Amino acid sequence: MPDQATADPAAAPENTGPENTAPENTAPENPAPGNSAPGFAAPDFADQEIAAVEIVGVRTVDLAPEPAWPGADAADLAGLVTELIGDQAGAWDLDGHIPREIVRELGRAGVLCAQAPAAHGGLGLSNVDAGELTAHVGALCSSTRSLMTSQGMAAWTVERFGDDAQRAEYLGRLTAGETAGVAFSEPGAGSDLSGMATRIETEGDSVVVTGQKVWVTGAAYADLLVVFGRVGEGAGAVLVPTDAPGVTVTRVPDPLGCRAAGHADVLLDGVRLPADHVLAGAGLPLEWLVTSALTYGRLSVAWGCVGILRGCLAETTRHARTRQQFGRPLADHQLVARHLAELHVAERAATALCAEAARGRDAGGPEHVSAAVTAKHFAAGAAVRGAASAVQVLASAGARDGHPVARAHRDAKLMEIIEGSTEIGQLLLADHALAVWS
Amino acid sequence: MSAQATQPTRESVSENLLAFLERRIKSAVAPDVDLFEAGMVSSLFALELVVHVEKAFGVTIGGPDLRLDNFRTVEAMTALVLRLSEAPGA
Repeated sequence: MPDQATADPAAAPENTGPENTAPENTAPENPAPGNSAPGFAAPDFADQEIAAVEIVGVRTVDLAPEPAWPGADAADLAGLVTELIGDQAGAWDLDGHIPREIVRELGRAGVLCAQAPAAHGGLGLSNVDAGELTAHVGALCSSTRSLMTSQGMAAWTVERFGDDAQRAEYLGRLTAGETAGVAFSEPGAGSDLSGMATRIETEGDSVVVTGQKVWVTGAAYADLLVVFGRVGEGAGAVLVPTDAPGVTVTRVPDPLGCRAAGHADVLLDGVRLPADHVLAGAGLPLEWLVTSALTYGRLSVAWGCVGILRGCLAETTRHARTRQQFGRPLADHQLVARHLAELHVAERAATALCAEAARGRDAGGPEHVSAAVTAKHFAAGAAVRGAASAVQVLASAGARDGHPVARAHRDAKLMEIIEGSTEIGQLLLADHALAVWS
Repeated sequence: MSAQATQPTRESVSENLLAFLERRIKSAVAPDVDLFEAGMVSSLFALELVVHVEKAFGVTIGGPDLRLDNFRTVEAMTALVLRLSEAPGA
């Protein structure tokens, strides 16, 4: 079965994209302080559960999160992101746009594709460190995190399938402020990629791209799109500048979540480009190519869900400590306390699965492929449940559009759709379980 | 696992791949069987296979070599590894 690429046809955001928002958490509660997002740096999940609990509490109160990745550069990056996003995530969500200069700035800082190699101008972060940075961004603003997922996936695809000249050119551009989206889904090809109809045809020293892509995350901001399609009997990917003649980008109006992530439908009407826009490694079956790119995207989305959970923890713990009902703080009501406990466990478990997949990816072992599906599957479900319970705890305080937990609730739902729907993930994981255990 | 340090031989590469496949497919595979035609490999496992080949033999499979034909059979993968690692007998 095809891999799940996208999600469901109809709703299928492209997978790359839409993602979530993280509760902003920064906002209300915390003024976005300068460095690392308040409250969301991953508590170093090592072995101290209790310490982790305390850390969560501390963070919420004094907002002095420290990034869990080592190195001053990484801390600086977290601080930069926190500063750039500030308390604007809610407003961007309502407005449906992130200011262009913010997107450019994040791109120039290398944050949007943090694993891109230093040789090409990137930060060269490990998957573990980039994952923590992704969660940090996800806790602040899932729309911004969606752009990271898309740009990271585009950069990874170029790095993996491109030749030296393509890597030098395009990775250089993607780490210098240009932005990119990845186009998988089509009107007839969501979870079932075999329906993909976009054609990439070579004519002399040109290539002509014809097709229709939907729900391309970040496309409304993008300078470049990595477009997957059919090449003869096989498949391939081609780099399409959004200003090329024949490209029409139309925003998806009012997405359910990650509203500022720039989801758009893209019409490719006989777009003619130099043949060297086709990525070199185009000899694999479509499902392989897409699975390969999606494996990056799944892990990124999973970390984004960790961020959603951290944002919800920050919001709910603050509210539960300060809001009084029946003469005592909400946290002293056991049915409310249970929500906090479950959120905590969800965040720890999602973080552990993401870290395992990221370490596997850093080590280069094959296990990371299924580990990424596992992490994404668990984290997305946990984010949906966690965000719903956060809205429940905040109740009327959080039940309005623009509030971090309301945003988390909408954003999290998209996480169960993109980068492979929950159901597609279950099919893949069942196959994997049969292979490993039976 | 395997032969990272020393130059791989046709036998060592083939054995490693057959063992990896047997572990995952749960039955022995002949070196010349077309794994994809036989429906033994899902797209997820295909990616694992590519990653395994790179990791186990310390090779990087670049753009032009990422072709289905290089992964169809254990024999084809073995030839690819030997070529990329410039082993004798490739």
